[in-house]
Amino acid sequence: MEPILSEQQSLLRDSAVRLCANLGGPKRARQLRNDAVETDREAWGEIVKAGWLATAVPEQAGGLGMGMFDLSLAMEEAGRQLLMVPLVEAAAAAWALAHADRQSSKRALNEALEGKRLLVPALAQAGWGLEDSAPPKARTGTSVVLEGRLRFVPFAATADGFLVAARDGRKEPLLCVVPRDAKGLCVESVPNVDGSTSSEITLDGVSPGADAIVARSDKARELMAAMRDLLALGVSAELLGVSNAALDMTLQYIKLRQQFGKPLGSFQALQHRAASCFVDIELNRSLVYRVFSAWDAAQCHPAMVSATKARASRTALEVTRTALQMHGAIGYTDEHDIGLYYKRAITLAALYGNELNHTTRFFKLTAQGA
Amino acid sequence: MKWDNTALFSDDNPADAAFRHEVRAWMELACPKELRNRPSRITPPEVRPWHRLLHERGWIAPHWPREYGGMGATLTQQIILVEEMSRIGAPTPFPHGLSFIAPIIIKVGTPEQKAKHLPGILTGDMTWCQGYSETGAGSDLASLKTRAVLQGDHFVVNGHKMWTTNGHYADWMFALVRTDPDAKPRHAGISLLLLDMKSAGIAVKPIRTIRGDAEFAEEFFDNVRVPRENLLGELNGGWRISTLLLGGERFATSHPRNAALLLNRARQVAKISGAAQDPAFLQQLAVLETDLLAYTAYYRHGAALQAAGRAPESMSAVIKIAAGELSQRASELLVQAAGPLGPRAVDIETQAEPLNPAEDMFEMRRVSVGGGALEVQRNILAKRALDLPS
Repeated sequence: MEPILSEQQSLLRDSAVRLCANLGGPKRARQLRNDAVETDREAWGEIVKAGWLATAVPEQAGGLGMGMFDLSLAMEEAGRQLLMVPLVEAAAAAWALAHADRQSSKRALNEALEGKRLLVPALAQAGWGLEDSAPPKARTGTSVVLEGRLRFVPFAATADGFLVAARDGRKEPLLCVVPRDAKGLCVESVPNVDGSTSSEITLDGVSPGADAIVARSDKARELMAAMRDLLALGVSAELLGVSNAALDMTLQYIKLRQQFGKPLGSFQALQHRAASCFVDIELNRSLVYRVFSAWDAAQCHPAMVSATKARASRTALEVTRTALQMHGAIGYTDEHDIGLYYKRAITLAALYGNELNHTTRFFKLTAQGA
Repeated sequence: MKWDNTALFSDDNPADAAFRHEVRAWMELACPKELRNRPSRITPPEVRPWHRLLHERGWIAPHWPREYGGMGATLTQQIILVEEMSRIGAPTPFPHGLSFIAPIIIKVGTPEQKAKHLPGILTGDMTWCQGYSETGAGSDLASLKTRAVLQGDHFVVNGHKMWTTNGHYADWMFALVRTDPDAKPRHAGISLLLLDMKSAGIAVKPIRTIRGDAEFAEEFFDNVRVPRENLLGELNGGWRISTLLLGGERFATSHPRNAALLLNRARQVAKISGAAQDPAFLQQLAVLETDLLAYTAYYRHGAALQAAGRAPESMSAVIKIAAGELSQRASELLVQAAGPLGPRAVDIETQAEPLNPAEDMFEMRRVSVGGGALEVQRNILAKRALDLPS
């Protein structure tokens, strides 16, 4: 079902639909994959220029003062068009910088909004399927020195800097901006099945400067939790777009493809599977809209986030598998585009916690009744 | 933030919040304790006292226009009434009179039909049943054969209706009957008749369900004479008006609280059986809770669009499929959670309320068949929402 939008939101959504359709699509995604390009810099430049990153940043922090819900409309379109852009990551980092209360965060935020510097979060994987990963250690004194490693960070090779969550000597959290070119910082990237990358960042005595710290203790804890939730939610919106695009492509195919003298889409076995995919996507769409709205109203329980990521991941995998099946042998080829959606779904479903991780988290957060 | 699996249910504006508060306060006091949280299905005579109380309070027919004794309530207010009733475990008054036939009488009935039937539906004095299904016409309703022939100023009805909820309690039936056997398409030869169940020639036989109680009945019509003025709407125009008002009704019968209630029962019974310590149970519970959240979001999104007159055609089928499957899965988990107590044919005592998991599960088998099997709903989606060829 269509989201319930104000006039301004409708215009915003239309422009997201147009922009992403112009910038992305399977052909572009295939080209980027073949060229082993981590980030579609051209598309990303256009998205930043169009002001999308500033959408959910409060006006007093230099943004447009709209909501995360508004931004999620663009995330959904980015997923639909298989865009290789760090929209979700940069938005989460911008949110944290905008809500940090230090002078140092303002400069970093302005540079990000102007497109001068791409900042992405670099967080430990605990809760996302890698339970033994500890955040880097921070020695603090007159300046801060970081030691440790962060794994499975997307867009790390193209980012200009990271919002690193570390822990100080008292085991208190600390959030700081670390430039990509800081001495002692090393990024090693490994490709994923969809052409995106996942990187390991090693911090070997990295000293990002005295004003690198943007938040400490409770504030840092709050902002890290917010970023983690925003990353999972943003990817859920992307997965919604991926699922929808895969179903649309499949419906087109089974309406045209003839077997036994009839279109494949006239067979009830396929119709019922397609209808089930439609129902799952429709429910997720309402859930994504609902949870982003709750976020903007400061009423988003973290369990809602996990419910959303768990379902979005499950549905995207189910829908893209079904899509492959309905395409028959051609769906198994690299030549056909439907495989691009399947592989994108696989990657995004695993990113920032898969269905199992988030089901477990949901259970832990809601367990008091059981 | 404390978690509550009904958290997505209400985001009332101040006026709605005030209404909810008023409803809640009144229901807490008014609803008789013995009617609440009944583990077994309730019958029309048992629910009547509660029906009357709601009527006296003016809340029995929120969706009717005020001029007919209704509230002229918004869809949100209607949903609030349903939510608050289920919150305290109060029984829902049967919808056959209030929600199925009355809105059609209001829309197309004659002044005489309105004056004769609406007051009895409001007070609860008259119990109605829906005579649609037949042995050969279930999900394929348009193939129904019960025949009504106009002879002078009476229709003469012959045939057989089946799966009629409360047929053995009803004072009146609204029935789809065939008035033109040669019509093409078949649904163009069907009329809607209001039938007095005390008429000569009607034999009613209760049907014992898999649950063990008689929820349904079947009726045999042997030259039953129905006055011509009991034709509702036009001759051969019954199909169209019978499908007129189903959209809003689905919100009352498909509320996510039905599944939430079953999941809460599963939690309660798990404490007794020990399943509460079983990771496999907890994992399944979490999956169902996430599905409940998604359905709740869809439900409220749909209600908002419906209120704005913008609900998509697919919504009714999506709600039916999603609510039906969710409730069934929740009832199955409830029986799993009960472990060896699952097959018990007697109530299980828990801290909060007596439970009967098997009965709940039996009851939920109905929701994927009644009102059009879920397979038919998927056919509808394939055709209308996905534009797939036939």
